[in-house]
Amino acid sequence: MKPWLGWMLFFLTVVAVFFIGLLASNIMERRTEAQFLDRDKIDVQPFEPRNEVWGINHPKQYETYMATSDTNFVSKHNGSKKIDMLARYPSLVVLWAGYAFSKEYNQARGHYYAVKDVTDILRTGAPDENAESPMPATCWTCKSPDVPRLMNNNGVKEFYDGNWAGHGSEVVNPIGCADCHDSESMELKITRPALIEAFNRMGKDINESTHQEMRSLVCAQCHVEYYFNKEKPYKGVPYLTFPWDNGMSVEEIEAYYDAMNFSDWTHGLSKTPMIKAQHPGYELYLTGIHAKRGVACADCHMPYKSEGGVKFTDHKIQSPLNNVSNSCQVCHRQSALELTNNVNDNMDKVISVRSELEHLLVDAHIEAQFAWSKGATEEQMKDALMDIRHAQWRWDFAAASHGGAFHAPIETLRILGTGIAKAQDARLKIGTVLRKLGFDGEVPKPDLSTKELAQSYIGLDMVELNKEKAEFLKNVVPIWLEKANERESQWTQYEMAKAVKY
Amino acid sequence: MSVKRILQYFKPPSGWILSVNFLIALLVGLFVYSLYVSNAVSYLSDEPETCINCHVMRPEFSSWQHSSHKNVAVCNDCHVPQDNVFSKYFFKAKDGLRHATIFTLRTEPQVIKMHEAGIKVVQENCKACHFELNQQVGLLDVNGNNYVHGVGKLCWDCHREVPHGRVKGLSTTPYARVPLLESPVPEWIKDYLKKTTK
Repeated sequence: MKPWLGWMLFFLTVVAVFFIGLLASNIMERRTEAQFLDRDKIDVQPFEPRNEVWGINHPKQYETYMATSDTNFVSKHNGSKKIDMLARYPSLVVLWAGYAFSKEYNQARGHYYAVKDVTDILRTGAPDENAESPMPATCWTCKSPDVPRLMNNNGVKEFYDGNWAGHGSEVVNPIGCADCHDSESMELKITRPALIEAFNRMGKDINESTHQEMRSLVCAQCHVEYYFNKEKPYKGVPYLTFPWDNGMSVEEIEAYYDAMNFSDWTHGLSKTPMIKAQHPGYELYLTGIHAKRGVACADCHMPYKSEGGVKFTDHKIQSPLNNVSNSCQVCHRQSALELTNNVNDNMDKVISVRSELEHLLVDAHIEAQFAWSKGATEEQMKDALMDIRHAQWRWDFAAASHGGAFHAPIETLRILGTGIAKAQDARLKIGTVLRKLGFDGEVPKPDLSTKELAQSYIGLDMVELNKEKAEFLKNVVPIWLEKANERESQWTQYEMAKAVKY
Repeated sequence: MSVKRILQYFKPPSGWILSVNFLIALLVGLFVYSLYVSNAVSYLSDEPETCINCHVMRPEFSSWQHSSHKNVAVCNDCHVPQDNVFSKYFFKAKDGLRHATIFTLRTEPQVIKMHEAGIKVVQENCKACHFELNQQVGLLDVNGNNYVHGVGKLCWDCHREVPHGRVKGLSTTPYARVPLLESPVPEWIKDYLKKTTK
């Protein structure tokens, strides 16, 4: 064998091995890349209530979520601006006489303000070491991802038990990531027991819901009609309960409340045992055409968004009227102006019928109050009061659902229509009682044209309420926040955007 | 010169046989190791996870994973020929080697688009599955050949979101939860290392 051939073989083999080695390390390098590329930067712990911590892994979702702080959008009837609804509709003060809603009621702002607004509003009062809030701890349930944390730490019953002020230093992070997402898989997750329990009582298993249903059900944890059951399952604990056992229609829920003799409060003027409809948004939405075509809440309120070649869910949960191109126009080919006009037309009509019922109810309450003053008996008033209860329940069901005029215009109008019949029935019955008592004239109507007149008519001392609240915000809330900061400073700290609390 | 003589020519002298065997085995071992770390055997299968052996395919994987096709078709059902096993594996080998070369040389584009050969294959596979559905539609003109000659359309010229969506690129799905490659180090070694390092 020639010596040069040996050497050539030797060097060729060296080159071959060298290149196979390079290939192997290239493969290893790219495998290693895969471990880091687009992976979560940190491990978000279960029940992590700090939204900004989740934001480290999901900056786009977090930034759009933070945009719920935007209060500039005003639609014809709603929007994201804080609007004093009692000033806009002074009749509401009379409808809610004797109930905290008559003190202050505003157009809701974005999720970002959940904790701040419930703390600032007059309805939660001015608790301090000497006084309790008029509201129970249960009121916090829908305000914060601190809630699942507390329920997990202390128990569900223990969370609901006690005064609203009790959790003041514990609930500081506004509604956010952990309310709807699993920390490990990011899957949608039901974090509030009330919805799961309601499903169980209806014989349904919420775990069998499809992903598309979950895109509405996470909202249905809060945007539903509810009440505090002080009898079941624990005596004396205001347990958050959804009244869906008979069904979700206005009549079925009414029958449920009537059967248990439930009332939220006794009306200050007419002495009616009232039911306050909370916000049956989900129930009414289900009866509308969009729900029947399988459109979920998130499809319109959190549509997809493209940003720099990335398509993701817009977490700026807001009125679709502020984002017609990504919500309505994904399916409907009409112009944004026309679509907005369609929505406004529906809302105008529903609100005009709602106003009819509103004014009938004001008259009914004042006439009932007048009948009491003329010496009517409970026996005489009983039927009329039941009619007022049912009429206002219908008015509130339609009004408090907020989007009902869009979500389900026909069902909303049906509810208002039956409400008008019931309110008129009540007035006829009160008229009969008055004639029996020998009164044959016109019942005198006070001037209720402004919020202030209405509030002074039902006997609210607004100056005192506002003064107490201001002191509470100045003296008590900072202590709550300080305690919260101290607690959170002991948790794992990450390098992240500045936290937003309260 | 017969084959025997050629082999004879390369045969090392008897005193060297042991060392040459050893060195050739090293070379072969290194080659086998490369096949092992590159999950080479997985390319014979139809598992969609095979395609994300290379992380640049993650956006395609995750958009498919969230599409309606997820339940009925995997990557290969659309992207390799289904007419017979020979053309399937020939195409796989050809396309696979091209992809491997591009990935190895880091020349992948920011937006990955199908080439002519791929377009023809996918178009035929659309028609193969959706045959019944399209009986009333004249599909003869809908094919890759017509398309590359500038006549006729493809299915996804109209069905634009199927199945990977319209927003495409290497950075399109930063939060996609796709399965990670398993470590090439076997469990028993890891267990052993854990024990010994304690």
